[in-house]
Amino acid sequence: MARGFAGTTLRVDLPRGTIRRLPTDEALFRRWHGGRGVVAKICYDEVPRGADPLGPENVFIMTVSPMSGCLIPAGSKVEFGSVSPLTNGQGDSNMGGHLGPALKFAGYDLVIFTGISPKPVYLFIDDDVVELRDASSYWGMRSLDCEKRLKEDLGEDFEIATIGPAGENGVLFSCITHDFGRQAGRTGQGAVMGSKKLKAIAVRGSRSLHVHDQAGLTAYVTGIIKRTQKHPNMEPWQKYGTAFFIRWSNDNGVMPTRNFQTTYYEDADKIDGDQLIEKCLITHKACFGCWMNCGKYTKAVIPGKPEVHLEGPEYETGSLCGSNLGMKDINHVAYINWMLDNLGMDSMSGGGVTAFAMECFERGLITEKDLEGRSLQWGSVDDVEHFLDMVALRRGIGDWFAGGTKRAAEKIGRGSEKFAMQVKGQEMSGYDGRWAPGMLLSYMTADIGAHHNRSWTITVDMAEGRESVDGRAKIVVYLQHIRPLMDTWCICRLFWGELDITPEEIVESLNLITGWGVSPEECLRTSEMIWNLNRCHYLERNKADGRTFDYPPARSWEDKIPTGPGKGKGVSRKQVEQMLDEYYAARAWDAKGNPTRAVLEDLGLKDAADNLERIGLLGVPIPGGIPAVRGEKYKPKAF
Amino acid sequence: MSAVPSPPGQDSYQRIKVNRDQCTGCRLCLQVCGMMHFEGINPKKAALRVEARFPDPGKYRPYVCTQCGKCAEACPVGAISRDDKGAYIVDKAACDNCGACVAACPFGVVFQHPDVPRVIICDFCMLCTEMCNTGAIVPWKKSAGAEEREVARG
Amino acid sequence: MVVFFRAGSELRHKLQPDVDFYTRRVETQAGKSVKDILRDIGLDPAFVAFIYVEGKVKNLDYVPTEGQSVTLQPPVSGG
Repeated sequence: MARGFAGTTLRVDLPRGTIRRLPTDEALFRRWHGGRGVVAKICYDEVPRGADPLGPENVFIMTVSPMSGCLIPAGSKVEFGSVSPLTNGQGDSNMGGHLGPALKFAGYDLVIFTGISPKPVYLFIDDDVVELRDASSYWGMRSLDCEKRLKEDLGEDFEIATIGPAGENGVLFSCITHDFGRQAGRTGQGAVMGSKKLKAIAVRGSRSLHVHDQAGLTAYVTGIIKRTQKHPNMEPWQKYGTAFFIRWSNDNGVMPTRNFQTTYYEDADKIDGDQLIEKCLITHKACFGCWMNCGKYTKAVIPGKPEVHLEGPEYETGSLCGSNLGMKDINHVAYINWMLDNLGMDSMSGGGVTAFAMECFERGLITEKDLEGRSLQWGSVDDVEHFLDMVALRRGIGDWFAGGTKRAAEKIGRGSEKFAMQVKGQEMSGYDGRWAPGMLLSYMTADIGAHHNRSWTITVDMAEGRESVDGRAKIVVYLQHIRPLMDTWCICRLFWGELDITPEEIVESLNLITGWGVSPEECLRTSEMIWNLNRCHYLERNKADGRTFDYPPARSWEDKIPTGPGKGKGVSRKQVEQMLDEYYAARAWDAKGNPTRAVLEDLGLKDAADNLERIGLLGVPIPGGIPAVRGEKYKPKAF
Repeated sequence: MSAVPSPPGQDSYQRIKVNRDQCTGCRLCLQVCGMMHFEGINPKKAALRVEARFPDPGKYRPYVCTQCGKCAEACPVGAISRDDKGAYIVDKAACDNCGACVAACPFGVVFQHPDVPRVIICDFCMLCTEMCNTGAIVPWKKSAGAEEREVARG
Repeated sequence: MVVFFRAGSELRHKLQPDVDFYTRRVETQAGKSVKDILRDIGLDPAFVAFIYVEGKVKNLDYVPTEGQSVTLQPPVSGG
């Protein structure tokens, strides 16, 4: 077995309550590398195409990579995956903290849950002891409270992941919470756990991990430490985490403001990084093996409410639950963050859903009568608190919003689809794409809907031209290969991406750990393979040409930005179509957005090509053949 | 509580000072300690610990050996003695892993691990302080007269 | 008046550090913004996304004072 691995995979049969131990399949990890790659492959192979994501045929996967826990800086992430109930495609989400390494130290690389448990359970792992334990006394508890109780009951040194009432109730954007404030937020992984009656996962490990070249790895890591300890780029990250983006985003006219109505928030200085550090900070908080310590453990203090502690808000939550909701006090933003964490809902989708509901209220599409006599005004933390409670418990109209903005807009109608800021059912990240067309294209084409992490292009758009779309698609394709490699290796891209560490160096560390001898080119191809497999899976489940699903909400091209630095700017429908045409060409997919046999077979995915062909969705062959390399490596220029 | 006195002429032992407000819980110290003293990577074989106190007050607190000598006093077979760095060293042949020193340590920094046939006590190699990026644990020399308990806990 | 500019990444090469690996000593007049000082030393401000000075993030309109250390931040790649 290659080094780095813990060696054992667990298959948990929830209906029977039994657990099988298997040797970890090294060939699976060698081909798919781990994390997001392993999740993609297992979901594709094991979940029937018509399966209800909240039903018994979905799988729920927890995995790491051979790098996790092996001294590697920021090798802290644990990856969860399943077919997403929010997007109806393959879904994955990861989080930092300490759970991923704990899983490795306990002896496990991969845990696959199948079926639905007849009663609430939690998975207990303490080195060799692996059990499904009764969770009936924890069922119903809020996430953070549940983690605290489990640590009291089992031991402080157990690493805990929980879902909250939202996940138990099947809110489609439910999250998984860990370490009192890290979340695997996107794609509704918490809802899948809840559907399986899996309340929590508790892990403690005391084993050793062995790497291929320990002396080489130690020298390598020591070198990285020396280079980065005093690196000037580190300073704002260590002090603010991503919260310093609030000002930058606002100054550059991409700030989501009042449900993306505009892109400049006049009260940004009330909710920015300085406010967070000065008013709320308790301690800087790191994930396992990372000294960027971007986490900010904070307190929200609001007269009349109990003081609460939380991790955040980081940029996404700070904007999507801040400017996007018209909040004027950092304590209010922090409190909303805490509510979402504790109820167990993704703070990004939570912000987006709430903003959508606020705009519906502003336009009279929903009224106080629908909201149990309450209003839902921009900037009201009390209104938000009441609304989120309705959503988490699916009470009254909360049930509509529990499905995300796409489904809520379908119920509400009356033109609300235009400003349901989502793609493929998942809410948009905290950057407006009207004056950053590469970012808009990223939202349109990400496998999990309007999420920024696959390709983040704001500085590319600034360097290449914010009002032009030419050449943007090829860069997006490249970023969609290089960035998700971090999720495949379960390392955090904030550390590895902001401090001059090259992709070659990251691959070198993978080789020092495993002894595999992979090249950066092979890694990029693996990432492209995962991307295409997820696309095929999506098409097979949703049974229509890919292009059908790749459009942004109509606000993106119908509403020019009304205020701020981006006033008057916006993309046209024609530009949206042009970006899609260029994107599909860059990917060697056909004009309908369907992968072609040539590119799938080039990536070793012949079976996926055959499956698409059977249902009539295989891409039409491209005359003249496909490019040898898809995506153009991008070197950031000035802007 | 009085400390085990320094031998004559030995007033500057190598120590570790804890600035607990700086700790961010990254556990790099545990990783490097385990790695440098044992085969493989294993934070549970480290000779120091980091306590996480969440959600209230919401802080981390490292605990390191203070060279108080209680472990040596408690050892029934005399397997623990002080070296010239000031560290309390475990005689591997003599230690039978009875754990009396574990119970005696006032800061919970004497450890046992199922794979290790003896107790684990900090040898003051100082690598943890080199890895720590926040100044939560730093090298320090004990000056004559400084109150042991106060300084060591940080 | 003297200020100190610090930078990592490719910015560091453009900055031409002369004090240590990351730092360049710059003679300038009081009242000039970072943007103007950068132009004076031949570094295109377009390469700097924002600055970090005395523990705070600022934009390039910031006017440094005598002896301050200003860290130049290149474009970030996302969060």
